[in-house]
Order: sequence, then structure tokens, then C-alpha cells
Amino acid sequence: MPLGLVPSLPHLPPPLRAGLRRLGMLALAVSSLLTGCKQNPDSTAGNPSGRAASASGAKKLTIALLPKSKGNAYFMSCKKGAERAARDLDIDLLFDGPTDPDPARQNEIVDNWITLGVDAIAAACENKDGISTALRKARAKGIKVITYDSDSQPNAREFFVNQATPQGIGFILMDEAARLCNTQGEFAVIIGSLTSANQNEWRSFVEERRAALYPNMKMAALRPCDDLKDKAQSEATALLAAYPNLKLFLSTTSLGVPAAAEAVKQAGKTGIVKVVGLGLPNENRRYVKDGVTDSVILWKTEDLGYLAIQAASAVVQGGLKPGDKTFKAGVLGEFQVEGDNILLGKPFIFNKNNIDQFDF
Amino acid sequence: MTRYFREISVTLALAALLLALAVVAPSFYQAQPLLSLVAREAPTLVVTCGMALVLICRQIDISVGSQFSVCSVVVGLLTSLHWPLGLLVPAAILLGAALGALNGALVAGLGLPSIVVTLATMVTWREGLRWLREGLWVDLPRDTQWFGLSQTVGQWTLVGLSLMILALLALAMRHLAAGRFVYAVGSDVEAARLAGIRPRWITFAVFVLTGAFTALAACMNVAQSPQVDPNSGAGLELKAIAAAVVGGVAISGGRGNLWGALAGLLLLACVGPALTHLHVEAYWEKATHGAVILLAVVADGWRNRKLDLR
Amino acid sequence: MSFLPSDSSLPNPSMKTPRRSVLSRHETVLLIILAVEWWFFSAGGRNFNTLDNNFDIIRHSVEIGLLALAMTAVILTGGIDLSVGSLLGLCAVLFGALWRDARLPIGWAAALTLLAGVLAGGFNALLIAGLRLPPLIVTLATFSLFRGLAEAITHGMDTYTHFPETFQFLGQERWAGLPAQFPIFLVFTAGIWVLIHRTTFGRSFRAIGFSAEGARYAGIPVERRLAMVYVLAGLTAALAAIIYTARLGQAKADAGTGYELFAITAVVLGGTSIFGGSGSVVGTLLGVTAIAVLNNGLVHMRQPREVAGMLTGLLLLIALSGSVLLKRLATLRQRWQSFPKPTPRISTL
Repeated sequence: MPLGLVPSLPHLPPPLRAGLRRLGMLALAVSSLLTGCKQNPDSTAGNPSGRAASASGAKKLTIALLPKSKGNAYFMSCKKGAERAARDLDIDLLFDGPTDPDPARQNEIVDNWITLGVDAIAAACENKDGISTALRKARAKGIKVITYDSDSQPNAREFFVNQATPQGIGFILMDEAARLCNTQGEFAVIIGSLTSANQNEWRSFVEERRAALYPNMKMAALRPCDDLKDKAQSEATALLAAYPNLKLFLSTTSLGVPAAAEAVKQAGKTGIVKVVGLGLPNENRRYVKDGVTDSVILWKTEDLGYLAIQAASAVVQGGLKPGDKTFKAGVLGEFQVEGDNILLGKPFIFNKNNIDQFDF
Repeated sequence: MTRYFREISVTLALAALLLALAVVAPSFYQAQPLLSLVAREAPTLVVTCGMALVLICRQIDISVGSQFSVCSVVVGLLTSLHWPLGLLVPAAILLGAALGALNGALVAGLGLPSIVVTLATMVTWREGLRWLREGLWVDLPRDTQWFGLSQTVGQWTLVGLSLMILALLALAMRHLAAGRFVYAVGSDVEAARLAGIRPRWITFAVFVLTGAFTALAACMNVAQSPQVDPNSGAGLELKAIAAAVVGGVAISGGRGNLWGALAGLLLLACVGPALTHLHVEAYWEKATHGAVILLAVVADGWRNRKLDLR
Repeated sequence: MSFLPSDSSLPNPSMKTPRRSVLSRHETVLLIILAVEWWFFSAGGRNFNTLDNNFDIIRHSVEIGLLALAMTAVILTGGIDLSVGSLLGLCAVLFGALWRDARLPIGWAAALTLLAGVLAGGFNALLIAGLRLPPLIVTLATFSLFRGLAEAITHGMDTYTHFPETFQFLGQERWAGLPAQFPIFLVFTAGIWVLIHRTTFGRSFRAIGFSAEGARYAGIPVERRLAMVYVLAGLTAALAAIIYTARLGQAKADAGTGYELFAITAVVLGGTSIFGGSGSVVGTLLGVTAIAVLNNGLVHMRQPREVAGMLTGLLLLIALSGSVLLKRLATLRQRWQSFPKPTPRISTL
């Protein structure tokens, strides 16, 4: 930047002059960058008719998959299923997610995808209301939005791929717990963190089921584990000591089940205190085989990822419209569509008899 | 007596808490849960020893949590490959020492501020590990838990090991010249240099030692669980710093000893279980934790204020 | 009040190059890094160099930028404030509670939240300036305390949502062509710049950071100035909390997690010495921008978030090592140049 371009200001004192000059250079640099940049991004979103018209020489679709957080084995297995769908459909899959728990991070990623110009976003929503702000913006720009695993506000997405309703999950957890305790006794709940929206939702349904059907069971305590397995184990150990009449651990975080099982095993209370919860088969296999954990509840996470990408792609290309009653998702077959919810099915109970058939 | 005022007051506070629990929540005192609690804190104690060393040397190391995660995962992977213990532990210590040496080289060699260097290495290791592992746990073979011993023996071994490390380090700090040098460098670098001590080497050595201790703690952690969680080091550095400072180690360096750090760690570790036993809601835990640290530090500051002739 | 040792392990401090040219050198290096990043991402990423994306970068970094600016003042005095992220969460929750549960109009809720931020900052100030406790430990404790209070108020679970559209305009829409929160940020930046670089307050911050005792003997009211920076940090966290809530449309107890480290990284990257005594607002702004552009650009190049984190750490190390090495080179060069030229030896053979 030639100094001749910057005005000389002889009437001002030297320090002010130098400061102003530096600020001036900075402003020049910033404004040249801003004016040099493009006003209208090249985007392929918002042009479905154009794309449907040009069939096979068409540009590949780009679909972005958003997990609740990265570094989470549950979402990694969803990603595997999603990658399979991407291969089957020949689309470009973008996978990215927040690496720290701040609620704004998911929004920032969605904002970035909007400017990147993806065709569709499949999101698992950590914060229902917060993320809806960003998803609505995406929809306004013509990007199709699907949610999976945890929903946003209904007006922020086209469809919700539901592995099971939160009510279904809460009820089945409570039913299993009641079965293991013969419908009476105290139980303790371990959750990932107090601020986790969908775990709180599941818990509220557990409580609803308990109040309705199992009044002789009581939730003695609720402890978060900050999404750390070791902390979950310490909490479980303390709970075992503090509540001698405890009959069961119920965990809504996949970390909590093996951790509670380890605590029960170390306390020598295998069989006396039962363990049940949502968890991945691989992480719980050894405890289920040892009889410490009776059953682990989940759903086929790979299928969830597969279905989400299939649905997103179908919405973009017009294969899935509001009002459809069924949806055919590639090799998985037909799925029920209830309103704007695509149902994967019911939660699956893994126990000693069937856990070896699964690897995730 | 007044020289150890801080350490004694923390120990008294711990005793008061334990006494209160004995009266109000006697369920706290059961053999197995208590042993499990102490065994779970043993790796943290080892890390706190290293952290106390760093703080006394007037530096800080906030990357120990990420180092712990990295070492845990590596040790877990090597264990699942059936490496023998005699080879595993030295390898882990080498890895930890290497990580610590990187910190030490930048701080002692280039004179960069330790908080920034360790902040950068903390973020780098943490994100790198997450990128590589993608959150997958490491499954360990069955017979490796508790070093192949029974659970109770294994737990006592871990507790004993951590206390032994603490005692050895405390004795070394007091009786070995190198230990006194750490205090000297932490009190006044210039005076130490003029006295013939080489501050850069001492600082470098302190970081390497911290890395080695962290790796040892990671081994102890892996020995306790059948699976390794790559997030296991999250928040460890803050725990260790809080424990050390509550226990009397001064942030400004040159003061404090490891027994105080032990008392501080026990005090903070009892907060969570105490709340559980007192049937207090879980969401009070963080606030209580912060309040305990504040009380300890404020009491110290109050006393300093009264003693200072201003 | 410096909580870390002075860098006396460096070569002879009296041979330091004049302060202003060192600072401008660091900022120039940052500008170069920023330009390289920009060129690289424009070339490699899709839709990176667009107006929408630039506004996104601005929108995403306003809260961190505010915290980093306040942190600059704190670090200038040789202190540190680890509690700003947690205070952001606490203020966001208080704001939500005041608006939803106490049914106050948004304007009043915002004003009271700012007051709460001032009080919280005042609490830090009381302990640090009043009781002369080390800032690192006090703010480490309030880091847990504030977050814990936020969790206690909401019982961890409650979130405050459905804020009025006019309020959410602040975080999400454009005003006069720019993101709505940007004018607030500009005004704040201008204010901080004037405070730090053109008033005696700012000069006293540097003096305190350089040597608190010396400043005291020079007649500067050290305690009052320290209290001022921590109260400012509290106020800024509250302001950032309001903008954050407007942007997200939701207030939760875990808002602002990790923001303090991001702010410290930006400040240090910008050339402010962590020991206190020297630093600049422009440097901090450049630091925030460099990190924000890095995070944003890598997404446009389809790289995962973790790579952004690792590169930020490396960038920090390189920037710091770079400036130290440059200083050392300059010192070495000066030493070489000051050696007397060897007189030519006349052979007597």
C-alpha cells in the first residue's frame, strides 16, 4: 500500500497521526477485501426444477450430516450408515459437528453450510429452539432440512426421522426397569449432563410412565456425569453407598450403562442391583455377558443414519413430499410416515441372547 | 507451626468435613465404596504431584488433561496388543516425558509463557486425539484389569503406589539439592541464576517430570477399567491446579508442599460424594466446588493481609 | 500483580528493541497471516469470499471479540480472567429468567443483566484487588461458581426461549446492510481502544502490568484500576450474553463454555504479553479475526472441526515462537554489529 495514498495530517500531534494512519491502513485493507468479494454466492440450492430436469450429467448432490457432537461413538455409527447411503445414492456427504458443548456451535456450523451452498442438511438437534433459528434460515435459502435422532421445532424442517418417539423411549426404559425390579423399589438415574435437552425429555417420559403404572417405584437420585465415563462410575459408586436400598441404575447416556455396571461389579452387588439403560452393544457386551447388565436398549443406529440421508436426498429430488404415507429407503425397504415423522421402528432391546449379532 | 499454616488448616477443614459426614451421613463410611473412591482418585493424585512441582517452579501446565487422554489411549491400545507390563510402563513414561519435553523446550528454551504454550499443546493434543479416535473407546482384554490381581488387592496397590510416589517426591523436594533448586527457581529466577543454578534446565526438567507423572497416572487409570474413554482427561488440569492451590501451593511459586496438595485433593474429591450422601441435588456440585476453592484462597489472602505491614 | 514470572530468562533485557516497532512488527505478521489465510481459503474453499460468509464470520465472532477486548485490558494489568465464559452463561440465564419468570420488558431485563455482570465482575475485583489474591485462582474458582449458579438457577434443565422477534433481530438480522450486532461491537471497540490507548487509565493498566509496586509508588491507585478492569470484564460478559441470546434465540446454563480460552488465545495471538505491560487492541482484533477466519475457512474446505482446533494451537505456538525468534535474531545481529572489527594482524615473518 503506497504511503502516498494515505493522507498526511500535519496539524495533528504525532502519536495521534501515527495511530490514525495505522487505523486508516487497516480500514483500507478491510474495505478492499469486502468490496473484492462476491455479492452472490454460487449456490446450487433453491433450484430443484433445474436439477431434476438434467438427469445423469447433473452435479452431485451435497448433503450435510450434523451430529450432536463429534467424538461420540453413537453418532459415528450413524455416520457409517450415512456413508453407505451416500455410496448407494452417489452423493457427496459432508460430516461435521461441534467439538465442544457450547450451544452456539451447531448454529455456526449450519450457518457455514448455508454459505457453502449444500443441498440438504440432516441435523441431530442438541438445542431444539436454538438450532431452529439457523435451520429456518437454511430453509429460507432453499436448502432442504431433515432432522434425525432429536427434533427441532416443526417449522424448521421438512421431516423428522424418528428412531422412536421420546415417549416410546422413556416408556420402554421404565418398563424394562420395572420388569427387572418386580415393579417396586428405589432406582437411581444417571444422565450425561443436566443441560442435555433430549435426555431431559426422555426422563420426563420415564417419570410419566412411573407415575402412571409403577407407583411403588421411586427415583431416589439423579446425578449427571459430565459425559465422562470415569465420573459416571464414581457417581454410581457413591450412589450405591448412599442409598443402601437401591435396586436399579437407569442411564439415559450411553456412557452411564457400562460405568454403572462396573461400579456394581466392583461393589460386589452383581445381581442385587440391576443396570439398564440406553447404550451401544459393543460397549456393554462384556457386562451383558457377565450378567451385570440385563438389557441395553437402543435402535439400529446405522439404519438411522442410512434412513436420514435417504430421506434428505429424496426430499431434495422430490421423491418424498408432505402427505406421503410411506417412504422407500434403498435397501432398508419401506417405512411408515406419520405426518412429518418418518419412523425407524421401535427401540430394540439387546440382551444376552442377541447382543453378539451386532457390531456397533 | 505458622509456616505450615495453610497445610494444617486444609487438613483441619478436611477433618471437619469427614467428622460432619460421620455424624450426618454415616453411610459415607463403608469400606468398599471408600476404597473405590480413593483408588479412583489415585491417578489424579499423581498428576497433582506433577502440577504442584510445576506451580512451585512458578510455571503452569494446563495441558496435563490432554496428555492424560493421549497416554491413556496409547496405553490402552498397547495393552490390547498384549504388551507385557514391564515394557508397557516404560514406554508410557517415555511418551509422557516426550510430551512434557515439548512443553519444556518451548518454555525454557524459547522463554515463552507457560500458560500460552500449554494452552496451545492442550488444544492440539485434544483435537488431534479426537480426530484420530473419533470418540471410540478402547476395549481392554479381561485379565489386564487390576494388573491381573484381585479387585481389592489391585485397589490397595494403586492407592499405595500413588502415596509412595507422593512420599518419594516430597522427600526429594526436601532433601535433594535438585528439589531445593525448584523452590529457588520458583522464588526468584535471577537470584537462582546468580547462585549458580541453571533455571532453564530446572524448568525443562520439571515439565518432563510432569509429563512422566501424567503418563504414570494414565497407566494407573487404565489398570482400573475394562475400557478406556478417550475423554478421560477432560477437566483434569483444573482439578489438579485447584487441589494444589487449596493445599497451599502458591500460584506465584516458591512455596508449598505436596502433603498440602494431598489434603487439598482429598477435600475437593469428597465434595461430590458428600453431596450425594447428603441427598443434595446434583446441580449444586459445581457451585460448591467453586465456593470451597474460594474459601481456601480467601482465608489465605485474609491472613496475608493481616500479616502484611502495609 | 503479575501472576507469572517476568521473562528474565531471555537475553539481556536492556537490549530490547523500542516497544512501538516491536508491536507493529507483530501486528504486521498477523496481518500477513490473515492475508495468507484469506487467499488460501478463497482459492481452496467454495463460497468463502462472499458477503454472506463475511457477515457470518462477523456474526459468529462478536461475542468472543467482546470478551477478548475486555480480556486485553485485564491481561495488560498482568492479571487474567478465566470466569468470563461462565459469567456469560450466568448472565444469559439471568436475562432469560428476568424476562420470562419476572415478566420484565426486554429493555429492563437487559439493563438488569448488565448490572448483574457488573456485580459479578465486582466480586472478582473485590477478591483480586481488595484481598490481593492471585487472579488465576480467584477466576478459576469463580469459573466453577458462576457456572454452578447458572445450573442451580435452571436446575440444569430449564432453557429460556421464544424471545420476541424484535429482540432476536439484534442477533440474526441485518441493519443498514451490516449484521445488527456489528454497530454495537464497533462502538465498544472504539471505546476500549480509546480507554487503553488514549487515556491515562490505559497507561496506568500498562504500568501496573509492568510493575505493580512501581505503579503504586508513582501514585497510581492500583487497587481501583484493577477493580475497574475486572468490573469491565464482567460488564462485557453480560453484554456478550445478551447478544448471544439474541443470536441463538435461546438461553441455557452451558452458554459460553470454552469462550475464555478462545478469548485468551486471541489476545495472546494479537501480541499482548501475558505477563502484562504491553499489548494492543488492534492486535487483539486481528487475533480474533485470524482464528475466526481459520475456523470458518476450514469448514468451507470441508475439513473437520478438529483440524481447526489443532491449527489454532499450532498458529499460536508459531506466532509466539516467531516473535521471540525474531527478537533474538535482532539481538544477535546487534551484538555482531557491535563487536569491534578485528585489527588486521601484520605478519612479522
